[in-house]
Amino acid sequence: MSVAAGGGESKIDKTKLTMYGLGGGILGIYLAHVLNMITGTGYFSFLAGLGAIAAIVMGADAVRRVCAYGIGTGVPSIGMMAMGMGLVAAWFGLAVAGIAGPIIGIAIAMGFGYFVGMLANKIIKMNIPVMEEVLMSLGGAGAVVIIALSVVVSGQIGYEDMLNDVVLTGFIAVVFIAGALAILQPFNANLGPDETQDRTLVHAVSTGGLAMFAAGIGSLITVGVGGAVLTMLIAAAIWLKAFLWYFKLVKRDSAGVVGTGLLAEGGL
Amino acid sequence: MDMVSMGLLAAMGALATIAGASEDLESDVGSQSNPNSQVQLAAQVGHTHRIYNKAISGEPPSNALYAALAAVTASVLMSDAYGMNAFFSIAVGSLVAAVFNGILSMTSYMGRNTSQARFNQYVYLDVLRSHTTTIMAHAYITAFCVVAISYIMTAPWLPIQHPFPLPVIAFTWGIALGAIGSSTGDVHYGAEREFQQYPFGAGLNAANSGDIVTKGEAGLRSSIDNAWFCAKFGGPVTGLAFGLIVFLDNWRTTIFDPATQGWYAIATGVLIVVLLNVYNRILEVRSKKRYGPYPEYAGDIKA
Repeated sequence: MSVAAGGGESKIDKTKLTMYGLGGGILGIYLAHVLNMITGTGYFSFLAGLGAIAAIVMGADAVRRVCAYGIGTGVPSIGMMAMGMGLVAAWFGLAVAGIAGPIIGIAIAMGFGYFVGMLANKIIKMNIPVMEEVLMSLGGAGAVVIIALSVVVSGQIGYEDMLNDVVLTGFIAVVFIAGALAILQPFNANLGPDETQDRTLVHAVSTGGLAMFAAGIGSLITVGVGGAVLTMLIAAAIWLKAFLWYFKLVKRDSAGVVGTGLLAEGGL
Repeated sequence: MDMVSMGLLAAMGALATIAGASEDLESDVGSQSNPNSQVQLAAQVGHTHRIYNKAISGEPPSNALYAALAAVTASVLMSDAYGMNAFFSIAVGSLVAAVFNGILSMTSYMGRNTSQARFNQYVYLDVLRSHTTTIMAHAYITAFCVVAISYIMTAPWLPIQHPFPLPVIAFTWGIALGAIGSSTGDVHYGAEREFQQYPFGAGLNAANSGDIVTKGEAGLRSSIDNAWFCAKFGGPVTGLAFGLIVFLDNWRTTIFDPATQGWYAIATGVLIVVLLNVYNRILEVRSKKRYGPYPEYAGDIKA
């Protein structure tokens, strides 16, 4: 456990973020599916990627809230746990519920998260007040990200096709790990006493762009060149915009962004 | 066991050795994994520094990402739709992984140092420029070797023909490699290089947390100096560890056919683990006898 994991105050309310994350995620998944079905193309797969980014921002904020309790080296672990819960629940939902699969999967993941949080607090006695609520958000975010990035790869929601396009090709590996890193990396990279919420969340948008790009590479052989290139171009544009914005916030928050030089006062 | 299988086994062992060494040096240039918390603490205890500080989760997940991403890109390019040669596909895949690595490294360096603003820790752009490329170069070698090992295991025209798809195998080897780099090589950087002012082999006393060396032989220490130091021992030893794991693990399934002689392969695996444990124990006892307790050690402290 690292000292002073930090975390400043939250300017954006968690309820709002959860609402946008879940709503945006589900909307993106279904819009991508329906528009691809209607047009008979793969051009709208990028909408699922946008949904994944919304859920990644929500997940990154949840990681930030729980890790402010001094969990330093636990940041990656909690991201992995989110994706683990999300993966199991998402594929269960897709397997049993057909077109309603994503919603059922996300609901199960959130229930799963709440239960794990309760175990952590009541049985292991971690006594972190926000544990249940945060793990519920993380489970939900994990499930949305897994389903959304899988829809980017396969272009539609259909258990059989998704199994062929995402799992049997092995692309699930990158969907899982790129999604997990996108959720945990923002807080992990900005951890420290002077962390700010807006900088962390802007970073989440940029890692979300990267995850979307990674899924876009996989879609090159599943949804076709047109849809895949569109997804990758939009992901790259989102990443670039978020990265430049992040750099601006780094300049705002840091003690100094210098071209080169010796240590600041007190360092030598 | 034919000559082709034996040759492939040797190639996999060699690739794994290179991957292990480059992975450890990549993490050392960026102070990733456990040495990272000391760099993070340094500014807080009054030692601002010009050391690269990237925290892309732990080494296992980040290496899993690079390996899986390189493998996905390679398998897309190798597919019937694009039909690229395997060698070039893996090279392009590794390039994509290295670029992802560079992006994540840069944002980690900027983010972590910015979050130490109250301790006057600057973000140095020249550190970012010179070190990120070094990190990416090492990551490229690592990703290339890991995906090449995975390709040898899965290629339909080679004898192993593992049933799992290439990205999943690469993902698994990425996690294994990251875990080995984190546990083997990082000790050399984290416990020795960062704490060079303390007696060699003294370990890390909790009271010295964050009290790392921030000055070099001339001027301020840079993380490329750290890679130079770790290339003498930490990197190669990580390579040896990962190379042995890949070699011995595949060796037992090469000499015994997993389909018909599965239990022999399992028994050989258990035997190897037992032998290595015995060897480690002998090594530990001999080192303790030969070098004795540290000069300041005054017996166990009663609780």
